[in-house]
Amino acid sequence: MKNKVLMGLAAIAMVAFLSSCGKVPQEKIDATNAAIAAAQTAEAAVYVPAAFAAVQDSMKAINAAVEVQKSKLFKKFGPISLKLDATLALANKAAADAAVKKEEVKKEVETTMATVKATIEENTALMKKAPRGKEGAAVLEAMKTDMAAIEASVTEAQGLYDKGSFMDALNKIKAASDKANGINTELKDAIAKVSGKKPVVAPAAKPAVPAAKPAAKPAAKPAVKK
Amino acid sequence: MRKIWRDVLIFSASAVSIPLVVLLLIRLTPKPPVAKMEHALAVLSEAGKNKADTYSRKLYNEAKIFYDSAMINWQKENKRFIYFRHYDRVIMFAELSAKKASEATDNSISTSSNLKIKLKEKIDTLNTLAAQIDELFNTYPLTSEIRNRISKGEILLKEAEIVYNKGLYFQANRKLTDCEYLLNESYEFASGNLKNYFKSYSVWKKWVDRTLNESKKNKDYSIIIDKFSRKCFVYLSGSKKYEFEAELGKNWVGDKRTKGDLATPEGMYKITGKFDGGKTKYYKALLLDYPNDEDRQKFRSEIEHGSLPASAKIGGLIEIHGNGGKGIDWTEGCIALTDKEMDLVFRIARVGTPVTIIGSMVDLKDAVEK
Repeated sequence: MKNKVLMGLAAIAMVAFLSSCGKVPQEKIDATNAAIAAAQTAEAAVYVPAAFAAVQDSMKAINAAVEVQKSKLFKKFGPISLKLDATLALANKAAADAAVKKEEVKKEVETTMATVKATIEENTALMKKAPRGKEGAAVLEAMKTDMAAIEASVTEAQGLYDKGSFMDALNKIKAASDKANGINTELKDAIAKVSGKKPVVAPAAKPAVPAAKPAAKPAAKPAVKK
Repeated sequence: MRKIWRDVLIFSASAVSIPLVVLLLIRLTPKPPVAKMEHALAVLSEAGKNKADTYSRKLYNEAKIFYDSAMINWQKENKRFIYFRHYDRVIMFAELSAKKASEATDNSISTSSNLKIKLKEKIDTLNTLAAQIDELFNTYPLTSEIRNRISKGEILLKEAEIVYNKGLYFQANRKLTDCEYLLNESYEFASGNLKNYFKSYSVWKKWVDRTLNESKKNKDYSIIIDKFSRKCFVYLSGSKKYEFEAELGKNWVGDKRTKGDLATPEGMYKITGKFDGGKTKYYKALLLDYPNDEDRQKFRSEIEHGSLPASAKIGGLIEIHGNGGKGIDWTEGCIALTDKEMDLVFRIARVGTPVTIIGSMVDLKDAVEK
């Protein structure tokens, strides 16, 4: 009888042992979630969206896998623990890559902004050399307005940069750069067209009929009225 | 001996029954909806890859909520005693999540591809409009506010193209909407202004006909100033002899109304004085009889009707003069020619030579096409 009881207890103990041998790797889960949150703070969703989405998907799969194991009589969290290690590494990498990419974008904004400012200065200098023949000056007037709009755009881009919205700042400054370069090309083309050529002079037309009848005696020098 | 046999029997029975019990326990365990959950997660992930969070946000969010509900229910069930667990609700939410996520994927693909096509068309249309504005109004006296709007609109168009090429269609759409507003409004304003200006075309045509007939009849010179094309035409006996570029008042669109409005008047005038040497600061000048009777009558009528303040003064001293060739409309209402051209015009003109100033020799359609 004593043996029977012992055997029964041994069986129960075995079942209990088997069913509780796996323990949820909560510490690793918490660490991975923290790494994902850190990646989010590092704007991984903006700068490395695909990698960040993969990390999130991986974490969701892990959460599901944890529940799968919890649903089982005999739990086994070993493979999950390995997946957590991998996901943690991925999250850390996403955060690091995001920081690198962010720095790259930041540098690109700085470089483009400096280039645009230089182009604006160059355009201002070129405007002084640009031909002012037929409609030239009127076009230059329109260009001046464009240049003012470009400068306003640079200021807006600077504002976005200061706020840390480097991607938006980059889009804005690139558009300003395109426009400034367009004006630069237009000005250089116009200057190149006239350089080396003699200035265009209207043909010296001669009156087809004898000189006009003598003009009436001129009045006094007119005062400015208009 | 009997005891040994009894122990062997008990041991054998246990060896068989314990695994059987364990197997039975395992078999009786409710099956978790692993496949369903995996499927739901895969479909949800696919929706995310297809940017459903952007282009089909509502469906995608519903799918996410259903998935989270499935997970919460699963966690809740897992807290119960193993044999009392029911996964029906988990399955239901997982299926709903997969369904919504699948719909979100389809919706996102279709929305983004439609948007891509629509935005490309919009970009092309706005580029055409911007080019048209530049072509038509580059030298047209628009207010600085309108010019700023055009410049701002064109930069926004470039920004929209940049974000469009990055696949950020909603962002591109927002920029294009702003750009469309700026460019369309500017175009409407400028073209409305232009159409309004050309309403006087029939009058201008009559003036031109009368001027040319007079020139033909008198076998004499007549000068016609076409403001829109900025040309100065010299006719002899009704035939065009010379054509020069002319520069006008800064605010040349429309008739001159008051002193200092920087507008070049429209009407049939005559030369009343010729000045050269130290008598003019513009090289050589031909004074016109502006304001004539018609101008005075029009001015008085505007004062009476209140469209001009009683304190307004009529302008005067409108001339054709030299110092032109600047390429812009810079005068205060006069017509400027280059000094070389002025020499010629000065030589052939006399006091009494008709000078007709009109908006345009051709109608709006032809003027725009030109």
